[in-house]
Amino acid sequence: MGNPRSFLRTWIVTLASLAAVVVAVNLLVDPYDVFGTPRIAGISLLKPGAKNHALLAKTYQVARAHPVTVVIGSSSTHIGIDAFAPEWPAAMRPVYNYGIPGGYATSISLRTLQEAIAVGGVRNAVVFLDFQNFFVPEHPASGLTEDDRRYHTTPDGAPNPHRPLQVANDMFLSLATMGALIDSLSTVAGQGNRDLLNLAPDGSSTEADFIDAARADGMHDMFAQKDAFEAERAGEIARIMANWQGKLPNLDIVAAIIACARHHNVALALVITPHHGDALEIYWRNGLWPRVEQLKAELTALVAAQGGAVTLWDFLDYSTFNTESVPRAGDRRTPTHWFWEPTHFKKQLGEIMIQRMFGSDAPAFGALLTPNTIVARDAEIRADRQSLICERKAALLTAVETAGADGCAPPEKAPGPT
Amino acid sequence: MLFNSYTFIFGFLPVALAGFYALGARRREWALLWLTAVSLVFYAWWRPVNVLLIAPSILVNYGLARALEQTSEARPALARAILVAGIIFNLCFLGYFKYLNFIEGALNDTFGAGFVLTQLILPLGISFITFQKIAFLVDVHGGRVSRFSLADYGLFVLFFPQLIAGPIVHYREMMPQFRAAPGRFDAENVAVGLSLFFFGLAKKLVLADPLGPLVAPLYGQAAAGVPQSMTEAWIAALGFTLQIYFDFSGYSDMALGLGRFFGIKLPVNFNSPLKATSIIDFWLRWHVSLTRFLTAYIYNPLTLNLTRRRMAKGKPIFGGRSPNIGAFVNLLAMPTMLTMLVSGIWHGAGYTYILWGALHGVLLCINHAWRLARPRIWPDTKAYRRKMVPVGFVLTFVSVVAAMVLFRAPSPSAALLLWKGMVGAYGVRLPQAVFSRLGVVAGWLTSIGVQPAWTSGSLLLATTLRIVSLLAIALLLPNTLQMLAAFEPAIGVKPAKTPPRLLHGLTWMPDRVWAVGLACVALAGILSLGELSEFLYWQF
Repeated sequence: MGNPRSFLRTWIVTLASLAAVVVAVNLLVDPYDVFGTPRIAGISLLKPGAKNHALLAKTYQVARAHPVTVVIGSSSTHIGIDAFAPEWPAAMRPVYNYGIPGGYATSISLRTLQEAIAVGGVRNAVVFLDFQNFFVPEHPASGLTEDDRRYHTTPDGAPNPHRPLQVANDMFLSLATMGALIDSLSTVAGQGNRDLLNLAPDGSSTEADFIDAARADGMHDMFAQKDAFEAERAGEIARIMANWQGKLPNLDIVAAIIACARHHNVALALVITPHHGDALEIYWRNGLWPRVEQLKAELTALVAAQGGAVTLWDFLDYSTFNTESVPRAGDRRTPTHWFWEPTHFKKQLGEIMIQRMFGSDAPAFGALLTPNTIVARDAEIRADRQSLICERKAALLTAVETAGADGCAPPEKAPGPT
Repeated sequence: MLFNSYTFIFGFLPVALAGFYALGARRREWALLWLTAVSLVFYAWWRPVNVLLIAPSILVNYGLARALEQTSEARPALARAILVAGIIFNLCFLGYFKYLNFIEGALNDTFGAGFVLTQLILPLGISFITFQKIAFLVDVHGGRVSRFSLADYGLFVLFFPQLIAGPIVHYREMMPQFRAAPGRFDAENVAVGLSLFFFGLAKKLVLADPLGPLVAPLYGQAAAGVPQSMTEAWIAALGFTLQIYFDFSGYSDMALGLGRFFGIKLPVNFNSPLKATSIIDFWLRWHVSLTRFLTAYIYNPLTLNLTRRRMAKGKPIFGGRSPNIGAFVNLLAMPTMLTMLVSGIWHGAGYTYILWGALHGVLLCINHAWRLARPRIWPDTKAYRRKMVPVGFVLTFVSVVAAMVLFRAPSPSAALLLWKGMVGAYGVRLPQAVFSRLGVVAGWLTSIGVQPAWTSGSLLLATTLRIVSLLAIALLLPNTLQMLAAFEPAIGVKPAKTPPRLLHGLTWMPDRVWAVGLACVALAGILSLGELSEFLYWQF
């Protein structure tokens, strides 16, 4: 029948031993790069586990990276900007990519900028802004989130009293949870795969997920799937914007980003993130392009008020980079050059943008927006679209069947300030 | 405090056990007082004000029970009045906190009454505690309970392993155990308790909880009026059925295990209900202690009363003469429907719960009618069982899964939308990524109306695999009661005379192999504690 006392002894010893092994494995592999355990080839050189815990991982990474330049933005920044790219000027290095994938909001950009500045040494900030985020008001969370508790400072810059407890909690959960164990084992098991997703110590991410999806489904399906998502999103935005009066939502967050950078003498470049023509057409055909122009105008006015301390770059246009053709349905082999899908640009395009903003001899892509250039810029983009869509009949829109008319009539006038 | 929390497992429970064993080694009474005290702390942990609500209720019920004890034989009319007053008091207590808003809302909806709805604090476990207190009063009145003190009664109501979500226990099955509890560390009890508790923890955290994020968006979309294709609707239905199945099964195992740490055996509450071959069988396996309560205190008295009335009028009843439709409707269908409506309302103050109870009532009536009619239609019972048990299983399974949609849906209209999706009213969609890998089969699927959609193929695959695996666990493996049957894990559970084939290698023994295996199970549960989640039945 067995002996209950022996059962209990064996149970306790086994449980304690297994728990110790789990903690040791998680500490050694450090799947979320929380502890900064040295990366070991064949065991933990690549960090795929940080994929779903990017904000956690990056908030610890940035404190260790001591960057001179921090790049901030959403998943497109996380994927498309290489902090180690040769195009970064020497004076701006080291660079840290603080782009956050999943559940991104502009308010996260403000908090991550504050965090990067709080850990010290940041002299430059490049903040990517996704145009869609300025059409839906962001509401602050009802209480403090885990991320709020983790940052070194509160939103008003005071030391964060919740941080010590949150750090202890993070450490514990990174050492003693099933998710951490599974991610540790996946990390070790995946090291032989040279295309494994990796979060580098400088915050850059490999494009492994997109590479895998492109191999499996082809670029056409990746564009088509995202088009369907963006079409739904644009429809919702169109409903919100239909009766919207006055300034666009969330510009106060950009104003706070500017104020934060200026307060800490950080050189700030704001960047309107490029999107593929598929996405641009979806928003155009939902009647939202005047709102896009309104956004650019309001951002330009905001930046102009700083007297040259902040720059504003616009990469949201119908240039050849943003309107590359998408392979046909069924073609799973032909690659694209600049975009993984309509909202995520590839690192090659990221490098061109870095070169354009901070280097020389860059291809003609994007433009600095100022009160003197914005009218011409808007007109140029409309002309490019007119030429591309209305005259050359380029077949943008990969798989959206319900999009509105192509609007090849004379352009409308933007409702907002110009 | 949740059973599945670090605070409970590494703080509260060790302290509760250490105090109980230490005091029990000196005097059992001290150990039981300690158990009452820590149960009160457990109850107050979430919201201390709860104690201010439950304590007066305990005192009033104790006073009523004392009065009943003294008047039951000498002044039966007074005793009956006291009993009725006690039941009304408890139902009003429950009704005020749990149903006032719902009733006012329903009056507003129907008559535009204009009641201003206020957010009342719902005391934890109020539905379970109320039923237990009513059962206690009825048992005292019926002479089935005597010799009780305030300390006994307090412990009976507050005993923390069953305080919040059952099982609903009877005083007469608990108090003798408390009085006989050794109050000392008992290695076998602790080994059995540990095994039950950690099997339950793993069921809850490893099997049930990951389903929540998969099904919640589907019910959310249905609530927003977005039609779901057959694929999504069935994922919503099966996903939630399995989520609540493993959640409740896990909770029930943990409650049994916790009781056993103190040397107390609780009644069976959950016994592989998805293996049921009829709806009657289902209710003998799902939330067994609630079924037992409803049967004993609502269904049986009602049926008895109606039977007496019919007999007095000379109308046919069940028994001697063959029953007619009138007898069936009056003596079986009506009490069944009423009992199941009470069950539905007990689960929650909402239209979906009432409809869920009513739907199960209808299914039970159909099942009862078939049981009565079948011997005449199909007299060969052996052949009937051989052929129809699998059919009964499929019918029961589909009915239970479909009814669970009503249980989870935020509104009847959302449930209707999902039901329509389940029968294909909104077509069948599969992710494009799946379609493009099916080759010639894709063409055939298109020809029968299956449409490609830009949804995630990997998510569908992972969800399907998870649901199939969990169904296999629920339907094929023995349950913990069967595995631990040799050690009576719950009151009255004994090893089966003909144990299921798969049980052979899974019969629990306090040996080293099981200790190592259970340590792995416990570790999986403990490592999954990071994401706190309430038991679904705690909301009732």
